[in-house]
Amino acid sequence: MNVLEKLRLDGKVAIMTGAGRGLGREMALALAEAGADMVAAARTQAQIEETATQVRAIGRRCLAVQTDIINSASVNAMVEATIAEFGRVDILVNNAGGASSGWNKPVEAITDEQWRAGIDVNVTGAFYCCRAVLPQMIRQGGGKIINVTSGVGVRAMRYNFMYATAKAGLINFTRALALNYADKNIQATLILPGIFPHDDPMMLQFWQGGKFIPVGRPGKDEELGPLCVFLASDLSHYMNGELVALEGGGLAGGQVPTGFAPVLPLEGVG
Amino acid sequence: MMSLEVFSLQDKTALVIGASNPIGRAVAVALAEAGADVAVATTLPSKREEETLQACFAEIRALQRQGFTQKIDTTSEEEVSSLVQRTVAELGRLDILVNAHDLPFAKPLSDVALAEWRRVLDVNLTGVYLACRAAGGPMLSQAKGRILNMVTLLGERGMVNGSAYCAAQAGVLNLTRALALEWARQGITVNAIGAGWTEGMELIADPALTQQLTRYLPHRRLAQPQEIAGAAVYLASDAAGFLTGQVVWIDGGVRSRL
Repeated sequence: MNVLEKLRLDGKVAIMTGAGRGLGREMALALAEAGADMVAAARTQAQIEETATQVRAIGRRCLAVQTDIINSASVNAMVEATIAEFGRVDILVNNAGGASSGWNKPVEAITDEQWRAGIDVNVTGAFYCCRAVLPQMIRQGGGKIINVTSGVGVRAMRYNFMYATAKAGLINFTRALALNYADKNIQATLILPGIFPHDDPMMLQFWQGGKFIPVGRPGKDEELGPLCVFLASDLSHYMNGELVALEGGGLAGGQVPTGFAPVLPLEGVG
Repeated sequence: MMSLEVFSLQDKTALVIGASNPIGRAVAVALAEAGADVAVATTLPSKREEETLQACFAEIRALQRQGFTQKIDTTSEEEVSSLVQRTVAELGRLDILVNAHDLPFAKPLSDVALAEWRRVLDVNLTGVYLACRAAGGPMLSQAKGRILNMVTLLGERGMVNGSAYCAAQAGVLNLTRALALEWARQGITVNAIGAGWTEGMELIADPALTQQLTRYLPHRRLAQPQEIAGAAVYLASDAAGFLTGQVVWIDGGVRSRL
């Protein structure tokens, strides 16, 4: 088979969490372009309906399922709806996650509730989704799990404790999945997106237009889809437990004087 | 929104140095399958390397792609430089450089002569520097390029009797990161592909060792060279312009385990 044909996802079914906007929608559309039928899961019904409309315009089927990933019953219902509709799950992308501005504070000021909320949305939700899809993937003889982490999962940012902890946890959770389900023909990998401001002008302003990123610009939304397709496809079949960072070169140098430093002042970040 | 066209390497040209070993050969063929014209060169001229190279090129020709073969000593500044010039002259440009140089070497450190150490570093590391520098000529002037350095698990993990080889491979990894930053604003991405234990690797040619490894690997089998090559197509394509300074590991989960 030609190497490009191995990227096709025809006949496969993929679940995307956080599919209602931004990079989640972008990845959902990319998987659909490659041939996958989609399940768009997120909390806001109107947003996942819009994603579903765009997937259908590509000619693929799409089920929009309102889902709160920090609620395991909601996750289980979403996966049941997926199996009822399509009969299988080949690809799970755990893309949902995030931080609340109220969480940006030193350890001494973080409440129990804030800590749990930050961990729940950024790693526990991925666990719920994996737990729900794995029996089906095992039954059907294989699958792909793609977890979306962050630069903050490998290096720290000021006052970003729950996000940093959970996203790092997600990385080693992925390695554990790789090790434990390799013999079931299930591969787990990670995407680490750098700065993708998409429709958020505040984010672009915060990251100063991306001028400190070695390639000199932030990521374009359409650059994320192909990586997701590659990791979801048979072309990456022997890849397991590994992370691919799509971030314009920042991590290769980090904070050392690279010609692009200083990055951001320590004070005021976050 | 994307189309699978973004992965196509149609109208691109590639130079694969070290297409005379299994992984380099598989990468060269995969690039050709994706539409690139591909020139292929040896790591070191020897009868066996030349035969593998010819077989590789036959596959490229069977795919209706252009290219040529050249046997060179990759530690020779002049030979590497003229190889790059020939690629540009015959194929029109140079979009993709793959450094698959590989001189396997294992010996207890106490017995490694200085000349041996230098040879292993020369072929596995200095050869990569020479190729990157030479390719930088056309790539910097066209403000676009892709450099892929092929390494193995020994770029990051140690191995008994592997000191020289491990040092050279780790050197390639950090050369990758440094050069990625240096050329980031010139439109050139520099990445490495980290291969797990793969069929045909000389260092694991011993069947007893292969058997032991297979029990240790989460995938319970070695990689096929073609499975390493898939990532090269993605990284060489226009889809990966924001990805630089990284190592993409394809190792069947082995780096994940304790």
